[in-house]
Amino acid sequence: MVKRYTSQEYKAADDMIFGKSIYPVKSELGLEVGAGYVTAEVNYAPRPEAGVSKEKLVSEYRRLTTDIMARAVQIGFPAVSLETEHVEQMTNNPSWGGEIAHVQKTILEEYHEEYGIKCGLRHTPGDIRENRDLLALIGPKYDTLMESFEAVAEGGADFLSIETMGGKEVLDYAILRNDIPGLVYSIGCLGSTDMTMIWQDIRKIADKKGRIAAGDTDCAQANTAMFIAGGLLDKNLAHTIAIIARVIAGARTLAGYEAGAQGPGKDCGYENTIVKSITGCPISQEGKTSTCAHADVMGNLVMQCCDLWSNESVEYHGEFGGTSVQCWSETLNYDAALLNVATETGNAKLLRDMLVLSDKYRDPQGYILAYDNAYKIGSAIVKDGNDLYLRSKNAALACVDILNAADSKKLVMSKFEKNALANAKAALDSMTDEADNFMSDSLEKYKAEVAVFRPDDNYKF
Amino acid sequence: MDIDPSKILVRYNVQKEKAQTPEEMAAEMYPSAEPARTIAVAIFEGEEDDVVEALEKALASGADPVKLIDDTLMPGMDIVTKLYDQGVIFLPNVMMSADAMLEGIDLCKEKAGTSAKAKGKIVCHVAEGDVHDIGKTIVAALLRAAGYDVVDLGRDVPVDEVIAAVKKENPMMLTGTALMTTTMYAFKEINDRLLESGIKIPFQCGGGAVNQDFVVTYELGVYGEEAADAAKMADAILSGKGLAQLKEHFHKH
Repeated sequence: MVKRYTSQEYKAADDMIFGKSIYPVKSELGLEVGAGYVTAEVNYAPRPEAGVSKEKLVSEYRRLTTDIMARAVQIGFPAVSLETEHVEQMTNNPSWGGEIAHVQKTILEEYHEEYGIKCGLRHTPGDIRENRDLLALIGPKYDTLMESFEAVAEGGADFLSIETMGGKEVLDYAILRNDIPGLVYSIGCLGSTDMTMIWQDIRKIADKKGRIAAGDTDCAQANTAMFIAGGLLDKNLAHTIAIIARVIAGARTLAGYEAGAQGPGKDCGYENTIVKSITGCPISQEGKTSTCAHADVMGNLVMQCCDLWSNESVEYHGEFGGTSVQCWSETLNYDAALLNVATETGNAKLLRDMLVLSDKYRDPQGYILAYDNAYKIGSAIVKDGNDLYLRSKNAALACVDILNAADSKKLVMSKFEKNALANAKAALDSMTDEADNFMSDSLEKYKAEVAVFRPDDNYKF
Repeated sequence: MDIDPSKILVRYNVQKEKAQTPEEMAAEMYPSAEPARTIAVAIFEGEEDDVVEALEKALASGADPVKLIDDTLMPGMDIVTKLYDQGVIFLPNVMMSADAMLEGIDLCKEKAGTSAKAKGKIVCHVAEGDVHDIGKTIVAALLRAAGYDVVDLGRDVPVDEVIAAVKKENPMMLTGTALMTTTMYAFKEINDRLLESGIKIPFQCGGGAVNQDFVVTYELGVYGEEAADAAKMADAILSGKGLAQLKEHFHKH
C-alpha cells in the first residue's frame, strides 16, 4: 500500500523556479539536481546500423559519451548529465545495457577525476512489456525488465527511469475518438495502477544498488496526444483535448513518486511542473532545445521550473559543428548557463516569467502548463489524492475550468477548440463520482470495444 | 507580470478558421435522395446505430446491399474525407465516421453474402521490433475510409511475414511505419527482398523516426509525411502514377 499525496509540497506557485527543488538528489560524481542550478541532460540515439551487435552498440555509446564530455570541458561547463534511453536490444539483453552503463560511467569518472566536472548518468530501459499482439505488463517480460534495471544500476547508472506503457491499449483507442472518460480510465486509472506496481520494484533495486529511482513520464499517452495534436494547423486532434490528456498524466506520473521515485522526473513529461508542485522533487524538461527530436508549442515555457534541461534525443551523426551530441549538448549547456546566471544575479523569477509569457498564450497547452495554472491543477489532483479516478477527473475538470475562465483576448481559441472543450466539459460533468462504478463500467466497455485490452493479465486492481 | 501576446505570436488556426461550421459545410454536401441522405448524416455524426438502422430499413424494403455500399456508405464517407482534407474536421471525427461506415459495410456484406469490390488492396505493417502502432492504425483507418481493402499485419512484423503477405495478397501498395531509428532498417531489407522476387510495388514509409532522407535510399520507398498521404498515394497509383512520379509528388523536402 503506497501513501498518496493529499497536499502539495510547494505552498505557493511563485515558489517554484528552475534549478531548485525541495528535495534535491545527488549523483555519485557530485551532480546535485534541484540544488540551486540547472544542468544540461544530453540525450542521444545510436545510428540505426549500430543495433546489429552488442559490440557495435557498446562502441557507439563509448564514442558519443566521450564526445559529449570532451565538448563540455572544451567550453568550460561545470556539470553535465547524460541519459541513455535503451534501444530494445539493450533491455531485452540486460547484460548489454549493463555493459553500456559501465562503459559510459567509466568515461564520466575519468573526466570527473581529470577535470572535476560534475556528472550524472540516467539509464532508461525500454518498456519491453508490449508484445506483438498485446500488452503483457506482468510476466516474463516484467522479470527481464527488472533484470535490466539491476544491470544498469550495477553498471553505474545514477538515475533509473522508464517510460511505462500501462493503459496505452485503451488510450490508443480513446484518443482517436475524443473519448474523455477513456482518457481518464487509460491514463489516470490503468496507467497509475501499473506505475504503482513497477515503481515499488524499481525503488527496491535502486536502494539495493545505491542508486536513485528517478522518475517516469506519460510519454506513451500524453505525448501521443500532443504529437497527434501537432501544430496550429494540424487537424488530427484538438489541442484542448491534448491538454486534458496532459493534466490527467499529471495524476499518473505522480503515482511513480508515490511508489518510490525521487526525481529527476523524465524530460519528456510535459506534466512535470504539475508533478513538481506536488512532490517537490526535481524534474527534467525539454522544449526549445529538443527541436532535433520534435516540435512543440511551448518551447520556452517548459524551462520555467526545470532542474535538468534536455534535448529529448538526437541520432548520433556528424554535423558541421562536430557530432550531433556535441552540438546539442553545447546548446543545452549554454541554455543552462543563462538560467544559472539569472539565479546568481537574483533575476531567476524575472527570467522564469519571461519564458512563461513567451508561450503562455500560444496555445491552450502552454496556458495550462504555465506554472501558476499547473499549480492549480496540482491542487485539484491532491484534493482527492487517495482516489486514482477522482483525482484524474478533478485534474481534467480543473483544466477545462481554467481554459474557460481565460482572458479570451489573450488566449484566443478557435471555434473548433472551444467546441471540443465544451464537449469535454459535458462528458466530464456526466461522469460519476463513484470510482468503483466508473472502474467496473469502463472495464466492461473497453473489454468489449478494445480487442487487445486484457485487464485480468495486466492490472492488479 | 503579464503581456498582450498579439505582438509576439499569431494563432493562425484561429485566423484561418472557416466562417461556416463543419456541420453547415457537410449539410451542403449531403445527397438529396433517401436513404443516402440519412446515412450520410449518420456517418458524418459517427452514429453507428443510426447507420445500421437506416440500412436495415432500406434492406427490408428490398434494396440491394452491394448498391447500398456503393451508393450510400461510400459517398457518405467521401463527404467526411473531403472535409478532413480541407482541414474542416479533425481526425477523431474521421475515425468515428469510419467506424460507423465499416459497421454498415459489414452489415451489407453479410446480407449480400459476397465481398464488395474495393478500390484496391493495400498491406500495412509496423516494422519488426517496433510496437508503436497508432500511426499504422490511423493509416489503415484512413485507407479503409477511402474505400481500400486493407490487410493489416499489425506491429513488430518480421520481414519474412511482410514478404509472404505481399506475395499472397498481391497488393497495389505496401505501407510501413516505425517510431525508432533502429527498427526502420527493416524497410531496406523488405525493399531488397521484394526486388529479388521481382515485385516492384510502391512501399510507403513513414512514422516518428522515418524521414525522407532515409526513404530515398531504397528504390521502392516513397516517403509519407502525413498519415493522410497514404490514401492520396493510393489514389495516385490508381490514376496511373509510377514510382518516380509518386516520389516527385510526395517527397516535399
